[in-house]
Amino acid sequence: MEILAKTRWMPMPQRFGAVIWLSFLMAGAATGVFFSILDPDDLRHCVPFPDVSRTAAYSIGFLLFWLLTAASGLLAVTFTYPPPPDMGNQRHDSTP
Amino acid sequence: MNESARARPASSNAEVERSLYEKREKIYPREVHGTFAALRVAAVVVLLGLFYGVPWLRWDGHQAVLFDLPARKFHVFGLTFWPQDFLLLTLLLMLAALSLFFFTALAGRLWCGYACPQTVWTEVFLWMERHIEGNRQQRQKLDRAPWSARKLRIKGTKQLVWVVFSLLTGFTFVAYFTPATSLLDKTLSLQLGPWETFWMLFYGFATYGNAGFLREQVCKYMCPYARFQSAMFDNDTLIVSYDAARGEPRGARRSGVEPREIGLGDCINCTMCVQVCPTGIDIREGLQYECISCSACIDVCDDVMAKMDYPPGLIRYTTQHALDGKPSRVVRPRTVIYAVLLSAVALLFLYLLVSREPLALDIIRDRNQLYRERGGLIENVYTLKVLNLADEPRQFAISAAGIEGLELAGDGVIVDVAGGAVQEVPVVLRASEYALGQRSTTVHFTLRALDDDTVVITEDAKFLGPIP
Repeated sequence: MEILAKTRWMPMPQRFGAVIWLSFLMAGAATGVFFSILDPDDLRHCVPFPDVSRTAAYSIGFLLFWLLTAASGLLAVTFTYPPPPDMGNQRHDSTP
Repeated sequence: MNESARARPASSNAEVERSLYEKREKIYPREVHGTFAALRVAAVVVLLGLFYGVPWLRWDGHQAVLFDLPARKFHVFGLTFWPQDFLLLTLLLMLAALSLFFFTALAGRLWCGYACPQTVWTEVFLWMERHIEGNRQQRQKLDRAPWSARKLRIKGTKQLVWVVFSLLTGFTFVAYFTPATSLLDKTLSLQLGPWETFWMLFYGFATYGNAGFLREQVCKYMCPYARFQSAMFDNDTLIVSYDAARGEPRGARRSGVEPREIGLGDCINCTMCVQVCPTGIDIREGLQYECISCSACIDVCDDVMAKMDYPPGLIRYTTQHALDGKPSRVVRPRTVIYAVLLSAVALLFLYLLVSREPLALDIIRDRNQLYRERGGLIENVYTLKVLNLADEPRQFAISAAGIEGLELAGDGVIVDVAGGAVQEVPVVLRASEYALGQRSTTVHFTLRALDDDTVVITEDAKFLGPIP
């Protein structure tokens, strides 16, 4: 708990905002690279939904990338926090 | 003066608002007039004028700037960009990043104060808010007041204007990807496609949320540039700074009194600099990462200094070295390195842009068969994708080389391709088994425009045969 008292953690909504926005940027970059190399029309024969237009494919691709980057960002942010003290941590404190 | 002397700094304002995004003290930036405010208004007018105006520009019978994603083509005035030009886009992004570094090292957060979309749209939303809800005091009073018909009417009007403006912004955003005129028709006749509708609402909502509600919180908590810009700063970078040596000790005084005689500096502690600050900081506490260098405090403090008959510049654009009484240098390793990198990438970009070949060739091997034998010859089948990147139709001649006695057969070695179109050409290569030295041989396909011998490209492919 000492570290929690000493460090000013960013409040939850701000962390969420930061992750959502930065993952948005990264998803944009990923979408750009991905679809400039691959034409969704060329992938038509290997996906189960061949009727999607290019616009739809770009949009869905972007949203999926965003989901992925946001998920990894949220997990990373969550894991930078110390685990709560009651999370099965039975070790005795050596300091009195 | 008396109005501002009574006003308390925003940070001591006890009115804490539970907003959408965080528990924060709502900031009511006071309107400011002056040189830098005029510059920012000019930047807002020019940048937003470009944003809302450019989709309506025409060029050679098409929309001048159109990122035609469905056709995988970007039109920028006379130029057409293809997925093959991805390197150019990468270089363009590098140019943007290096410019940001260069100008940050030189003049601090110019981007934040004048050009960032967050600043520009927030400025417009604030302007609307000011015209509907009134000045700083009136806005604070309105927020403190209990809900009434009048408050509902004023707040409702503001929301309505904000929403309409946001939708217009979303429409304009989509107009960069779908031709603006047809988008307008589709919007008016309620026949928008699902994704056009989605992106219009998405961008509109982002504008509304960022410029209407989040405002300075975007800069404080979400902006990556705000976090790393300090890495580009040094003691010679222009910063907005309060001259503590001249201003302290601060304090109120009657006008006409010589401050030094009563033991005071030039700061009269009117807190105007705090009231105008869009991020709600007190610049007199020193350089802070929340400061977006909008220089509103410079403008307002200069006004106060003029009223007090003091020289301007108690808060000013300066450098740490200048504040310490040392000379400031513009030319220094940091700026030189950024400038050299910037010029190098710019030159490379221009060179690649000018030397772009107006054609491209993709070669796809037949997936079903590695090779076949026919009439004593080994045959390989390919599909050539010929891309005519010019705007007018062209004829191209296809030839192949790389193996002695290599024959090219197919739908014809001359191919017609419409302007800006892709033509798929199935071709067959034949070679004698005895001419093949190994199982896989590299062959070269050459594509040459019939009307211009300089328009030519060569791409390699593999020719497969039996194990010799």
